[in-house]
Amino acid sequence: MSGKLARLRGPNNEGLLVAVIIVVVVAMALASPAFFSPSTFFALVRSSMVPLVFALGVLLVLISGGIDVSFPAIAIFAAYATVKWLLEAGLDPSPVVVFIIAMTVGGLLGLLNGVVIARFRLPTLIVTLGTQSIFKGVLIAYIGSVYIASADLPTPINDLSGAHLVEVSGGGYLHFMIIPVAIVTVLIALMLKRTMFGRSIYAIGGDTEAARRVGIRVVRTQVWLYVLVGSLAAFGGLTFVILGRNANPQSLVGIELDIIAAVVLGGASIFGGRGSVLGTVLGVVLVQLINNNLVLLGIPSTWQRATVGVLLLLGVSVQALGASRGRRRPVVVAPKEAAT
Amino acid sequence: MNQNLRDSMSELNERAGAAWSAALVRIHVSRGVGRMALLLVATFAVFAFLRPGIFLNSVNLTNIAIGTPEIGLLALAVMIAMLTGGIDLSVVAIANGTAITVSSLYTAIAEAQGSSAAESMTPLILLVGLAVGLVLGTVNGLLISIARITPILVTLGTMQLFNGLALVWTGGVTISGAPSALRTVGRTAVLGVPVLLVILLAAAALLAVLINRTPIGRKIQLEGANPVAARYSGISDRTTLMMTYVISGLLSSIAGLLFLSRNPSASADYGSSYVLLVIVIVVLGGTNPMGGFATVLGVVLATLTLQVVSSGFTALRLSAYEYAIAQGVILIGVMVLDQFSFRKPSRPVPVVTDPQPSSTAPDK
Repeated sequence: MSGKLARLRGPNNEGLLVAVIIVVVVAMALASPAFFSPSTFFALVRSSMVPLVFALGVLLVLISGGIDVSFPAIAIFAAYATVKWLLEAGLDPSPVVVFIIAMTVGGLLGLLNGVVIARFRLPTLIVTLGTQSIFKGVLIAYIGSVYIASADLPTPINDLSGAHLVEVSGGGYLHFMIIPVAIVTVLIALMLKRTMFGRSIYAIGGDTEAARRVGIRVVRTQVWLYVLVGSLAAFGGLTFVILGRNANPQSLVGIELDIIAAVVLGGASIFGGRGSVLGTVLGVVLVQLINNNLVLLGIPSTWQRATVGVLLLLGVSVQALGASRGRRRPVVVAPKEAAT
Repeated sequence: MNQNLRDSMSELNERAGAAWSAALVRIHVSRGVGRMALLLVATFAVFAFLRPGIFLNSVNLTNIAIGTPEIGLLALAVMIAMLTGGIDLSVVAIANGTAITVSSLYTAIAEAQGSSAAESMTPLILLVGLAVGLVLGTVNGLLISIARITPILVTLGTMQLFNGLALVWTGGVTISGAPSALRTVGRTAVLGVPVLLVILLAAAALLAVLINRTPIGRKIQLEGANPVAARYSGISDRTTLMMTYVISGLLSSIAGLLFLSRNPSASADYGSSYVLLVIVIVVLGGTNPMGGFATVLGVVLATLTLQVVSSGFTALRLSAYEYAIAQGVILIGVMVLDQFSFRKPSRPVPVVTDPQPSSTAPDK
């Protein structure tokens, strides 16, 4: 019985999250019949896309046993610098090229994180705090500080901004960007599950020394990890610009702890070695569901933050309880063996 | 050259080298303090030299002195959590909680019974404000010590929760009003030293005594240095962690009172960028993020240094963004340097005691 329950709960509490999401959805639907409409659903998808991409990057770093707070700075740096350069050069390349440029910039910034972290073996929180400050400073002091409005954005970005897959009467629409975001999400999930690189990230997060001894090149893996996370952040940043229809170097400030909270809610361990893409998707969806629709439950929107805080505390309490139960089990077994 | 002279020269050289490396070792021992003192003097000298007219202006110096205390107190609050190997991300939320409580309580009493009644109840209002820090710190402490949740996760959650409750209470708007006693404290100086700075120094001194001279302080240090050893030497980590986060909450609460004394208004969003800045300061001040090592003086010096760099950049007409770059470079630079000086002792020390090998080295 408890085995079945444990399986339902999932390795990282995914089952529990699904249950919470179902409860919230049912409650919202009961409170307001208007909740079950395509436009509500599309709005949820739209508001989840950018946080999800960032959350995937945070997930990778958490699994490897680190914490990254520099990703919003990398995201807006890469996106804004790309837009600015395209405007100055007067180029209108295909959207794919725009993404490649931005993700290269993001990858280079990530490389800096990776080199400092892996080479000097410094705490990731402190290093990314430092680089975050540097990236943000360099962007605004030397690259640009001007808000670029919708009308001035390069054509490929503007075209993407208006690209809707499905439109419904009543103003709802499903944005095209859902396709690349979904592809990236699936790719990250496959990478974590099926590739040597993905398994190495889990191994390093689980026990760095053990990973080194079984022959994983820890430094190289870490550097590539931060390059990947940097380009993911850039992908998220460009998506943010496309969905928001403007490029503002001052935006995306202070979201780092919120995204980390969503990933932790999704069951990733802050000590590394644990976490899943499914859990992360569910964590982000739950937070966005609350942010978008709390009012439907008759709760004023000012309660959003407090609600997310309570959910996060409940989530980590459940994990802590599970962990302490796991720790206690061998102690219960030991006296039995001694008796026989 | 005269052999004697050469000998005495090399002996002198040797002695100077030994003295220099001894000095380096001494700086290394109290690395936070020595390094930060040097950095503070150096940055101060650089800016004083480059822009004496603006930087050494009494207005500028006063601004440094009254800008430091609120950040310094928050840094000390994070420092004591980091000393046990934890962290407290909720400090700014607690400070805002205190400021909002005091401000709204004062306004409510002033509206109901007139401002003179509210003024006469100032001590009580301030105590209620400090009680907020005590209670919120206790919430952190309970979750960390009894429920056994990792400090960074607990305080990430309580940061959102406390901040969220503050948003609910204020409706997201800035509220204003504060006891005039607080504002007087914010404006007064004793012998040219702003009272706010005196408060920071007094709190720092108390905290230093608490950490280094009392049993609970020893327990806090040991808990961070080696939790297993602490448990086997009979230290209750529950009590220790509980105390740590209560003290952290109280320090944050005092910082919240200082917010009000500088500017008699409070909001849930005030100082949201302080959370990360304060961690930068604590680490710069020589605190080991893994726990077990921290100095109060180092953290105070680090706070002052960053304030000096900030106002120096303003005096040089550099932007806040260039200050952000400097902040990041200083943090990573110091961390990388630390890494080198940490590794040094493990190698055989290549001190200048014997000049012979180094002179033959190029022949190889």
